[in-house]
Amino acid sequence: MKRQLALLMSVIFFMVGCAEIETKSEAYPKMYSESEKPLSILVLPAVNKSTAADAGDLLNSTLTIPFADNGYYVMPISIVSDIFKREGIVEGAQLLGLPSSVFRSNFGADAVLYVTINKWDTSYIVLAANVSVGMSHVLVSTTTNEVLWSYDQTIVVDTSGDSSGFILLDVIKTAVTTAMTDYIPIARRVNDTAVLTMPHGKYHPQVGKDGDAEVVLKASKEKALEQ
Amino acid sequence: MNTKHIAVIVFCLLFIGCSSVSLGGYYWGKYSYTYHDLLKEPSSNTRAAHEETLRDIIEKSKEKDLRVPPGVHAELAYLLSFRDANEEALGHFEIERKLYPESQRFLERLLSTQTNKRDVK
Repeated sequence: MKRQLALLMSVIFFMVGCAEIETKSEAYPKMYSESEKPLSILVLPAVNKSTAADAGDLLNSTLTIPFADNGYYVMPISIVSDIFKREGIVEGAQLLGLPSSVFRSNFGADAVLYVTINKWDTSYIVLAANVSVGMSHVLVSTTTNEVLWSYDQTIVVDTSGDSSGFILLDVIKTAVTTAMTDYIPIARRVNDTAVLTMPHGKYHPQVGKDGDAEVVLKASKEKALEQ
Repeated sequence: MNTKHIAVIVFCLLFIGCSSVSLGGYYWGKYSYTYHDLLKEPSSNTRAAHEETLRDIIEKSKEKDLRVPPGVHAELAYLLSFRDANEEALGHFEIERKLYPESQRFLERLLSTQTNKRDVK
């Protein structure tokens, strides 16, 4: 898994060529500061800018594992989303104006994670089809209200498959495989690649030792903040 | 059996090897699958399946001498409280709090709102 992700990252870097790359500690210095680094993360309901209405809800099932694995205490998402629903909040956009200190007093969270779904769709171009999932992640401190970590990532999967030599057959085959393509595994990959750039937390065996890793695409870090 | 078959088998084994304990050192079992099903179709069946996953995570983590992942005890407690298995639920909330002191404030507030609701009834 680790090697697979490393390979994936190197392919991405290869493709961007001369894009500017930073180390984790250059990109996210606050995540290494004793006073500012968070231990616990509250994942807020996603802001859904895609056309798929249920994307935000389903995405919840993919968010605990990558962030917990990276060494953070993730407030149990199933309970948290129930609490928000009870308060009438089903869409992350409803929370955007709130000061993040609200989440410290109510949940005791050190940081809140805003997830924006930018893309969750399929595009057909006659014979080919693509399924894309794009998200931006922004982690904000609940004490200082400052951004601690941010990353924007889109993954596109080509679902057209091999050509059979018969155009009509190919069109049908593409349509069928594309319709069956599940967004969730792609969303998981988006989370995994984003989390690769995030400094490790308290419960990770390598905590504090990953500052020199050159894995942060500056453009992706900044793009997430435009959302 | 040609080389292609062997490659497939090796790949599968590699995959199984990696999937049982995650990079962060946790055992997650079928967590994301049963939770996904529960989100997609909330029913007593999917709830029971997710509860089983949570119990499996706790059990296997113990066997493998791993820390139980964040939130698993709390989530199980939460599911139990719906079934009115309050005593067992409180036990799991307590384990979560001890294992992850970061959860203290959250759990305290959760428990106080749940007891308030019960008092109102």
